[in-house]
Amino acid sequence: MSTFILPVGPQHPALKEPTSFRFMVDGETVVDADLRLGYNHRGIEKGCEERTYIQDLYMLERVCGICSNVHMTVFAQGVEKLMGIEPPKRGLFIRCLMGELERVHSHLLWLGVAGHEVGFDTFFMYTWRDREIVEDILEMISGNRVNYGMQTFGGVRRDLDEMQIKKALEGIAALKARTPYYLNIGATEPTLVARIAGVGKLPKEKALELNAAGPTTRASGVDFDVRKDDPYAGFGEHIPFNIVTDEGGDVLARVVVRAKELMESYNICEFILKNLPAGEIRVKAPRKVPEGEVVSRAEAQRGECIHYIRSNGSDKPDRVKVRAPTLANWPATLYMLRGGYVADIPIVMAAIDPCLSCTDRMAVISDVRKGTEQVMDWEGLRRYGIEFHRKRGIKL
Amino acid sequence: MSLRLGAMLPEVLRHLFKKPATVQYPFQKIGVPKGFRGKPVMDPNLCIGCQMCVRDCPSEALEIHKESESTDEAGKVTKRFSMTFYLDRCSHCAQCAEVCPKKAIHMDTEFEDAAFDRGALKLTYK
Repeated sequence: MSTFILPVGPQHPALKEPTSFRFMVDGETVVDADLRLGYNHRGIEKGCEERTYIQDLYMLERVCGICSNVHMTVFAQGVEKLMGIEPPKRGLFIRCLMGELERVHSHLLWLGVAGHEVGFDTFFMYTWRDREIVEDILEMISGNRVNYGMQTFGGVRRDLDEMQIKKALEGIAALKARTPYYLNIGATEPTLVARIAGVGKLPKEKALELNAAGPTTRASGVDFDVRKDDPYAGFGEHIPFNIVTDEGGDVLARVVVRAKELMESYNICEFILKNLPAGEIRVKAPRKVPEGEVVSRAEAQRGECIHYIRSNGSDKPDRVKVRAPTLANWPATLYMLRGGYVADIPIVMAAIDPCLSCTDRMAVISDVRKGTEQVMDWEGLRRYGIEFHRKRGIKL
Repeated sequence: MSLRLGAMLPEVLRHLFKKPATVQYPFQKIGVPKGFRGKPVMDPNLCIGCQMCVRDCPSEALEIHKESESTDEAGKVTKRFSMTFYLDRCSHCAQCAEVCPKKAIHMDTEFEDAAFDRGALKLTYK
């Protein structure tokens, strides 16, 4: 059997963000897939060490455009644990509300993108039109459509008034009436079903073995959800919801899981808005954080998001490590791609809802053949760059 | 659930007779909500020069300078401060407005802030 290596990236018209794939193909079949990350390193973790906790809050919000609120929530609740403060109940409920509204906007966005990737642009148009409803609710509550900036140490930054609650409930009712239609289309439109059923199979045991996260693993029948298994914010107390799973393990199952999760999120939002406890939304937080270390996690739209924070007693953290859910999903994605067709690559990749710039952290260059690793400091990197260009006849 | 071809077709045909979901920006504008976070506006009469906004700004977009210092007959010292604000660096998080102890900073509702010249994005309140 002769195989051919098909390189995709780091810069490729089909990729939305830079990353490098190598697909070993035999005709139209993908035999093996390999991935190299690290092209979108932004130095966020290092930047966090040089800024105060408050500044880090806004910087970490910008790890991702879609799950901005989740990163803020995870960091805020981690630092709150270090500070030893507990946000008031109303604050925690609003924290959950923002998380769920964000999940709604992200899942609607993903449904549209999935439709677009398989050439069903009509689906994309309608889901994105309806996404505007939830975007408007988010803008009304937080004052911004993408980076809401709602979380802070000790609670949330803005309260909800009666008028906002009424408007938000109206918007959610409209979405709630609309979403079953998408679920129905996803399951009954024969061209769509034929395109995504059986594509990108991930059996349950493989999902567990490869440590997949979020809707990807739930669509393979694993009922893991941080909101249920390690409850945070208001989830542990009184907010009822169900984990959505599907046994299909293919792209169709991932569409179904996300559409059903939308319905769950609407129910959570309605519950929070109708049962919002009275009282304060935040407590005062100190500027300096006592020495210690903490791991904080939350269920992002794409899976489990983890932050590790180590403090040294000053107003700046000693170390911040961000594990975005996409990183957990890459090994499973490479498994899903194997044995599939080249034409299935875009939708299989889109099905995990990848976010590459969220994922990219420090990359260590390792020579696979020699088995050596190399870490360069700033000065070494500079020298290497000068030498690299000089060898190619470029005068510096 | 049975499969049926063109399941979305009735919905698509129905929408032919509905008005568009988008508006014709910039000729037609949708207003922004009440709590919208535009650019920060500072009232120099209220500023006490505590530098809290400068310390907390995640994008280092603010500077506070002392403009003048005067002492009246009763010996009371009055200081005036100005703020230089770089809109090109601002991330519109409103932390400056939140942390200000005298509420001298508030966010306006202006959202069309783009300019061709970076210098035009440097604002001074004094």
